[in-house]
Amino acid sequence: MNSAPHGKTAPKTKTGEKRDFLRLDDICLKYGAKQVLFGVDLEVAEGEVVVLIGSSGSGKTSLLRCINLLNQPSSGSIVIDGDVLFHAEESGNGHMEIPKAEVNRIRSKTGMVFQQFNLFPHMTAIENIMEGPVTVKKQDKKQARERAEELLASMGLAEHGNKYPRQLSGGQQQRVAIARGMAMDPKVMLFDEPTSALDPELVGEVMKAMESLAETGMTMVIVTHEIGFAYEVADRVVFLDQGVIAEQGPPSEVLLHPKHPRLKSFVERFHDSADLLRPFLEAKQSEQAE
Amino acid sequence: MFDFSVVTNNAHLIWEGLLITLYYTVITIAAGLLIGLIVGLMQLSSSRILAFLGRIYVEFFRNIPLLVILLWVYFALPIFLGINITKGWAGFIGLSCYVASFYAEILRAGIQSIDPGQTDAATALGMSYKQRMFRVILPQALRRMIPPLAGQSIIQMKNTTLLSIITVPDLLYQASYISSFTYRPMEIYTAIGAMFLILLVPLTLLARKLEQSGMNVK
Ligand SMILES: Nc1ncnc2c1ncn2[C@@H]1O[C@H](COP(=O)(O)OP(=O)(O)OP(=O)(O)O)[C@@H](O)[C@H]1O
Ligand SMILES: [Mg+2]
Repeated sequence: MNSAPHGKTAPKTKTGEKRDFLRLDDICLKYGAKQVLFGVDLEVAEGEVVVLIGSSGSGKTSLLRCINLLNQPSSGSIVIDGDVLFHAEESGNGHMEIPKAEVNRIRSKTGMVFQQFNLFPHMTAIENIMEGPVTVKKQDKKQARERAEELLASMGLAEHGNKYPRQLSGGQQQRVAIARGMAMDPKVMLFDEPTSALDPELVGEVMKAMESLAETGMTMVIVTHEIGFAYEVADRVVFLDQGVIAEQGPPSEVLLHPKHPRLKSFVERFHDSADLLRPFLEAKQSEQAE
Repeated sequence: MFDFSVVTNNAHLIWEGLLITLYYTVITIAAGLLIGLIVGLMQLSSSRILAFLGRIYVEFFRNIPLLVILLWVYFALPIFLGINITKGWAGFIGLSCYVASFYAEILRAGIQSIDPGQTDAATALGMSYKQRMFRVILPQALRRMIPPLAGQSIIQMKNTTLLSIITVPDLLYQASYISSFTYRPMEIYTAIGAMFLILLVPLTLLARKLEQSGMNVK
């Protein structure tokens, strides 16, 4: 169902007529004069879980924010669920002017979870989750509330619906944020270091929530430093280095047999501390102990 | 020494003046808030031209004495535009535009104080600019802005006394009128001062209270 009202379709590609689920082509991004992404290509299939790793400043956040156009690339193209969200060529030709309303519509096919949660502090947990469906999708309030309650329960937070974010722990807030993203029935969920701002003992509960989301077949793009989680949950690990994809592949290859020299030293940090799987295994154990 | 019978004898004139003062306070605050919201949002606009125009507005009205603005609108503007402007309209326009520049600054600072992550989260949900502003940013910003808005509004009430210069019959105008035929300025002006105190002290205390509760809103 191609619902693009403007009759716009993805630019012709090697993949031919296959409907692209999520595709970034040759994405370049500049902050002022400083270029941070140098032609990134990334294709994500339906149901795929892609984990982005890379050292600090390599451009992971920048790339993730391009996917829903929170960052506007200087050139490249972005296609989500067959709809072109962005298209501009480096030469400045072939720039597609996509109306703001259309951008917002395509954007709402993605859900995003931030490092700092970014819940709306003046709304309760339930209201946070209902906000997108009611305001953006003009859904009926009662229906939206029912769905929000379901989502909250699936995050293990059924009793916390009427609490404000400041009354919740970091781990609980982040799970509400995941539910808020899911409430829009997104095609793909984007996570930017969702556990980095959490106390260590709260990391496990958020990772578990993400793992069960992945099990439902949700398409996910995740930036994380939790290598153990990446190893267990990712279908593909992408190593970003200085604004380009330096290596990618299944986690067992990329994480255990890295080829790129900088990926080697990046991964070795985790080998050295024999830490590769520990956080994730600990989370599993505590779950079984309950 | 004091003979307050001149005050009680002319209570009806003072009452009329008080109503005029309150009337101009309320309508110029309302209009000022509306203009201030527009100008404040213009200053935050990604369009450079709009942001520049907003900035110009604020600096223009903030840096001209209110008395000069009132006299200019009353005496000079009609000549420029070739129309008649009553003293009531002149007072309304001058006071509203003046206070709007201060409100605009308060609104701009209040909106800018909100974590950019809030805009990110709202945008990521697919919200339009208007939805973001009215559902997410302004409800948070307004809470923080209440104390400075209240403070500016109290100043605005005091500033309405300048209306007497362009002969709008506000509280101060009535006072000078009464003292011109009773020759008792001491009692009259004392009474007027006391009236402002009685009106504004409770409001100031209320604003301070709001300030304290406002600080609890993170
Ligand atoms: N808003 C911005 N303005 C200017 N430069 C920026 C901005 N955001 C990021 N950068 C720069 O772009 C580069 C890539 O940053 P980015 O945040 O994407 O890296 P990252 O891989 O997410 O790093 P981290 O692991 O620290 O989160 C860095 O050099 C950073 O300083
Ligand atoms: Mg980052």
